[in-house]
Amino acid sequence: MGFLSVVANGLSMGAIYGLIALGLTLIFGIMKIINFAQGALLMLSMMISYWLWAATGLSPYVLIIIVAPIMFVVGYLCERVLIKPVLDAQKDVREPVSVLLLTAALAIVLENLALMVFGADYVMAKTSFSDVTLAFGPVTVSAARFYGLIIALVVAGLFYLFLMYSQTGRNLRATGQDRNAASLMGIDITRTYAIAFGIGTALLSVAAVALIPFYYIHPSVGQVFMTKAFIVVVLGGLGSVPGALLGGIIIGLIESIAAQYMTATLTVILVYAVFLLVLFTKPSGIFGSPYEW
Amino acid sequence: MTGININKNSVILAVLVVLLLLLPMVVTKPYYLHVIIICLLWAYLASCWNIIGGFAGQLSLGHGIYTAIGAYITVILFNTFGLSPWLGLFVGGGAAILLSLMIGYPTFGLRGAYYALATVAISEGIVVLLNNTGSIGRFTVGGAEGLIVKSVGSSAAAFQFNSKIPYYYIVLIMLFLIIFIAKWIKESKLGYYLVALREDEDAAAAMGINVRHNKLIAGAISAFFTALGGVFYAMLIRYLEPNAIAGASMSTQMVFLAIVGGSGTVLGPVIGGILLALISEIIRFYLGGQLMGLHLFIYGMIVLLMIIYQPRGIIELFEKIGRRFSRKHNDEGGRSGAEDPSGA
Repeated sequence: MGFLSVVANGLSMGAIYGLIALGLTLIFGIMKIINFAQGALLMLSMMISYWLWAATGLSPYVLIIIVAPIMFVVGYLCERVLIKPVLDAQKDVREPVSVLLLTAALAIVLENLALMVFGADYVMAKTSFSDVTLAFGPVTVSAARFYGLIIALVVAGLFYLFLMYSQTGRNLRATGQDRNAASLMGIDITRTYAIAFGIGTALLSVAAVALIPFYYIHPSVGQVFMTKAFIVVVLGGLGSVPGALLGGIIIGLIESIAAQYMTATLTVILVYAVFLLVLFTKPSGIFGSPYEW
Repeated sequence: MTGININKNSVILAVLVVLLLLLPMVVTKPYYLHVIIICLLWAYLASCWNIIGGFAGQLSLGHGIYTAIGAYITVILFNTFGLSPWLGLFVGGGAAILLSLMIGYPTFGLRGAYYALATVAISEGIVVLLNNTGSIGRFTVGGAEGLIVKSVGSSAAAFQFNSKIPYYYIVLIMLFLIIFIAKWIKESKLGYYLVALREDEDAAAAMGINVRHNKLIAGAISAFFTALGGVFYAMLIRYLEPNAIAGASMSTQMVFLAIVGGSGTVLGPVIGGILLALISEIIRFYLGGQLMGLHLFIYGMIVLLMIIYQPRGIIELFEKIGRRFSRKHNDEGGRSGAEDPSGA
């Protein structure tokens, strides 16, 4: 594989990492909660997408229209039913640690539920383009990865526009900057929190449909992506939207380029090493400011 | 607080200690004793985590690296040089302190979430390293196959016993030790500093508390004792497997137990550790062989519901019962208003 092809593969995987990290960074930026269920919710999205794909035979990408609203509702309800009561009980606490643990417990519940319902088998959506490779001059890239890259970039762009220019987006940003001031301006904080969690989860459904044509699905698939998403958000700056995408792409590129020169294990170690390097030298990440929140 | 009350509590405490000391005479089946040992070990580990996670409010999600470093260094020294684990544990504990300082120094200057994420990433990285390191020079690390503790038969000097009873008493002493240390920290100047910086870091710094310094001290104490827990685990199970000793399940379990019990209190993590570990063992015993994932699903649901309905921990329930009891007691005696002095 030529160097440019390696770069293209890294870009596509990186953009998907970025998309997953985007949900994480959004929920953190607004609610100050690290969502440990992010990986498990990704797994759930992948399972639902796979199911729908197997049942309908439609292109996985078309399924976004169905899966994204489902995941939005799942996220919205998670916030309302599980997180809000705990947040309310801990109003006087600065960093709601219990909520974080709650999401971790939710992850255990979801993963084992999937294990009970689907079993431990590995499945993948074998679509018509799963084995197709596209060639752009000297660059060859797998079709599924290429489409994944396009979808991830388009959705990230749309999400950015939504956050910057829609009224809901403004509400979200205002709540993230100063919850009390936003509340005084008439923003319904309870609703905004639920929406933030819903959108953060819906973004995962996009990553899920982009992944299923070329990535195996199993009950603990989320764990792999969650650790990556953590690294990505610290790299890009916790709470920063462009940081999440850029951080994801950096990690994707490091992985695919390093894999050409060293063993898979060393590649993983290298990713952690880069993470530590950033943490030690510029701990607030590329776009983040440690004192924003 | 009255003299009668103090006496009543010390009587309860004394009875409890005597009961715990006599327990191996009642519980003779090794399996049951093993379950009790595991529960006490979890109570111990949750208490260790509580020093940095509860008292100082720094959410470490990678405490598994300290159990791992303590266990691995002690076992490697024992396997290669025959160094007694009783001495090796100081080397392992010292290495854990060093590691905690290396992680804490850059991250403690930042807000809490960075520390939490850094601990997750570092511990995942160490799991990968352990899984892929067969040996370093003449030291066998074992890689993914795990590391077996060289068996020398029943030998107190080598921390190896054929009976479970010595392990029971050792873990009991460890648990008493960590409760004593936690109580001491909570009542010392360090404890007050930690509470201050947990509640409001800026205000604490403004009052002249060296925030990073105190976090590092709490982190080092926590790391050292967590490493001792790892050594105990290694000598009890006599087999180290990277995912079990350093993985996410080890790290998050400590946090779950402490928070469900009541983080930031002295006895909360002990109660949470014993109760939740016991529940987990019981579910595993009855449901483990059946539908895959069922016992962990139920376990997760229990934790989930406890966090929602009892966010301040089980200890709060105990305190409420204790208060009601002492109020009733005092009303009968014609006195009122005495706070429960056992409120850890």
